[in-house]
Amino acid sequence: MSAVDEKKVNAAGQPDPNWEPNIVGFACNWCTYAGADLAGLSRMQYPPNVKLVRVPCSGRANPQFVLRAFQKGADGVLVAGCHPGDCHYATGNYFTRRRFLLFQRLLEFSGIDPRRFQARWISGAEAPKFRDVVTQMAEEVKALGPNRKLREEV
Amino acid sequence: MREINAKLTQEMGDLARDLLASGEVKGVFGWTKGSRWYLTPPVFITKPEEADQLCYDEFAVNNLTGLLLDFRDSQDKIAIFVKGCDSRGIVRLVQDNQLKRENVLVIGVPCPGMGDKGAVTDHRQAQELPLLAKCLECRYPNPVLADRTIGGVTVTTEPSAAPSGATAEAAKGRGVGSKQADRFAQVEAIEKMSPDERSAFWQAQNEKCIRCYACRNICPACNCRECIFDSDKKNWVNKAATPTDNAFFGITRAMHVAGRCVECGECERVCPMDIPIMAMNRKLIGDLNELFGPYDAGVKPEEKPPLGAFKLDDPEEFM
Repeated sequence: MSAVDEKKVNAAGQPDPNWEPNIVGFACNWCTYAGADLAGLSRMQYPPNVKLVRVPCSGRANPQFVLRAFQKGADGVLVAGCHPGDCHYATGNYFTRRRFLLFQRLLEFSGIDPRRFQARWISGAEAPKFRDVVTQMAEEVKALGPNRKLREEV
Repeated sequence: MREINAKLTQEMGDLARDLLASGEVKGVFGWTKGSRWYLTPPVFITKPEEADQLCYDEFAVNNLTGLLLDFRDSQDKIAIFVKGCDSRGIVRLVQDNQLKRENVLVIGVPCPGMGDKGAVTDHRQAQELPLLAKCLECRYPNPVLADRTIGGVTVTTEPSAAPSGATAEAAKGRGVGSKQADRFAQVEAIEKMSPDERSAFWQAQNEKCIRCYACRNICPACNCRECIFDSDKKNWVNKAATPTDNAFFGITRAMHVAGRCVECGECERVCPMDIPIMAMNRKLIGDLNELFGPYDAGVKPEEKPPLGAFKLDDPEEFM
């Protein structure tokens, strides 16, 4: 049994009830990252399962980032950016929308639960939305359990 | 059929000889007879006297358009023979700025429907070979663009057109394009599986892949000057042929040709491990049609591929 598997089961071989999902979030510098920052400044409580990666635009988040995150042990991936019409670069998130709509379906086609890969629009003022999205996603992914698909054996 | 092929081969040779002798083109991409009766591999000729090497029959299955990438930085004019499916590859390369339209002389040929050499067991079968699946599902049996044509083939950008030209009767008789409606059958079958079955299905495919990159190398849509899978940057693309890295390759390859795949089916044909690559391509084509409106890649040069454009009122599933 690999090191990764050992973490997921307790001594009795049962799924570990204390297991916490590992979620990678790709956050647009201009909206979602600011929104997350505001959530922190406002002292909002949310699960610490999401590790944010700051990208200049949600359009910078390449589908390969998502695949690589899954390979390297993420149980869920979130891509979040500005609402359509609010892009700092005018049109970046319209491309994000087309690309990830398609990509989400392709992942589902490959056998990955669509709840493990999600995309959201979160503006810089939407700190409560950021908190809610992260909380909801952490709960959903926790219910799904550890992701084994696409994962590299460690 | 044999006489028609012989006549087409003759026409091809004459045209290539004239083009090379007059200096109109510097070289000609075509097909030649291979070392077996069921092999008709690509050939590149540069001298008029080599025109006799050209050959055309139901095994001239290779899409030659990807080979034009060798001349993307050249000012030489090159002639190329194209069947219906191949001709969309030319549009693809021109749209991607890999090729100047004026530097290529496109010669449309009528397609008899290509025989499946995988079914060869015996030389006596010569007339009995089944058609390749991609020919049964063919939607563009006639070239979508051509500067010259041989064998009386018509040039049309309309899909579903019946095969035309010298081989039309034979092609219709063998069923070219008769299963157009079934081209998403495999995608639908996979979609009906449960998520775990789907995952197991692709896992089995990914275990087979040997990362030979044949699918990438023959694809007219895979035309990056530097492919990310040739990159030696650490921690970015893993070169090991493990199932997870093969999945990474397969999904990335599919996303890179999404909206640009011309459905020539060459990736799947050249795959030595029989991976159903077109299932993934077709899944993306089906979704793109459904989400962003019907689009056939490599037909109209002025149309932008769906992932290279957007509309303000695109469907919205993100909250």
